[in-house]
Amino acid sequence: MAFHVDIVAPEQIVWSGDADFLVAKTVEGEIGILTDHEPLMAALATGVVVVSAGDEKVTVGMHGGFLQVVDNQVTLLTDRAEIAEGEDRKAALEVAERLAAEEEADEG
Amino acid sequence: MASAELRLIRRRIKSVQSTMKITRAMELIAASRIVKAQQRVQQSKPYINRLRDVITNVGRAAGGPVHPLAEERDVETMGVLVVSSDRGLAGAYNSTVIRMAERRMVQLRKENIDARVYVVGKKAQTYFRFRGYHVERAFLGITDAPGYADARMIANVIMEDYASGDIDAVEVFYTRYLSALNQVATGIRLLPLTAEPTEEDAEPMAPVAYDFEPDASRILDRLLPRSVEATVFGMLLDASASEHASRQRAMKAATENAEELIKVLSRTANQARQAEITTEISEIVGGAEALRHG
Repeated sequence: MAFHVDIVAPEQIVWSGDADFLVAKTVEGEIGILTDHEPLMAALATGVVVVSAGDEKVTVGMHGGFLQVVDNQVTLLTDRAEIAEGEDRKAALEVAERLAAEEEADEG
Repeated sequence: MASAELRLIRRRIKSVQSTMKITRAMELIAASRIVKAQQRVQQSKPYINRLRDVITNVGRAAGGPVHPLAEERDVETMGVLVVSSDRGLAGAYNSTVIRMAERRMVQLRKENIDARVYVVGKKAQTYFRFRGYHVERAFLGITDAPGYADARMIANVIMEDYASGDIDAVEVFYTRYLSALNQVATGIRLLPLTAEPTEEDAEPMAPVAYDFEPDASRILDRLLPRSVEATVFGMLLDASASEHASRQRAMKAATENAEELIKVLSRTANQARQAEITTEISEIVGGAEALRHG
């Protein structure tokens, strides 16, 4: 069993596909999502989202946004997101921090 | 030797030709930009639509959004945001949307409501400044290819003024992009946010029993400003696509007119040349005749 994941940023869909496990960082801490998770609405923090589908893993650096789980549909609405090269968490974290810094630069 | 008349016409043909080169180039550039702008409109749709769904769901779960951004107040001052372009040569694109906004402001004045003008694009800025309106903020240099950061900046300025009570409601005038041939100037209310989705095709969904992390009202606090940003972003993208489409159409018409003008002018030039030759021949024949008889 798997669930569907959409990672959507304002300017494009960053990633979309099926997955069986997802880890994200909300404002209250890390959260893991498996199939048939309860409906959830969470605010995301700056951090890394890891989507696993079988043996494949996608790591995405992310800054802010929301995570919604309804009926095995997981939607991540994020302000900024970028897929990190490889499966390296550290690289993804750097991407996330860079995105956060970019946003501050935009606003300043 | 060419007569003065002929010379003048030839000079005009040349000048029309070089104008035509410019308009044709602008037409081609605009055409390629429309494609890009359309793609950007399409790519931004998923985010805006999902965000709207989420807000509707969360709003229901939280018992209707009672948030400062959604609160109806008595309107004393209306914020009016007009989205125009920085450059002209786009047919009636700017004047249509600007006139629509101005009509609304005249109407507001009759109802004793002050208007506070925010503009996007140099054209609206010049227009309103010239007419003696006070332009509160002008956002320039973003209409060609608006990014999300631009939308966020505009939304933040407006939300701040709204929160501080300087304005009690906000209306936006922009040009909606329906198709390459059809763009309409539209006025919509941006703030306060209305709870129900405005799209007709949105199907009513059963309220979702969410777990919230953190609680529903804090999530709404974060969601609603995003929604304003995303709405502004969507409008900027629509306006940008419309601008390029209008410019392409205007430049196409200009190129066609130039072609027509060149045709007419060449005909006149040919006539003038023929007249000159005829005069010369008759002069020669007349001269020869005179010599023979003399």
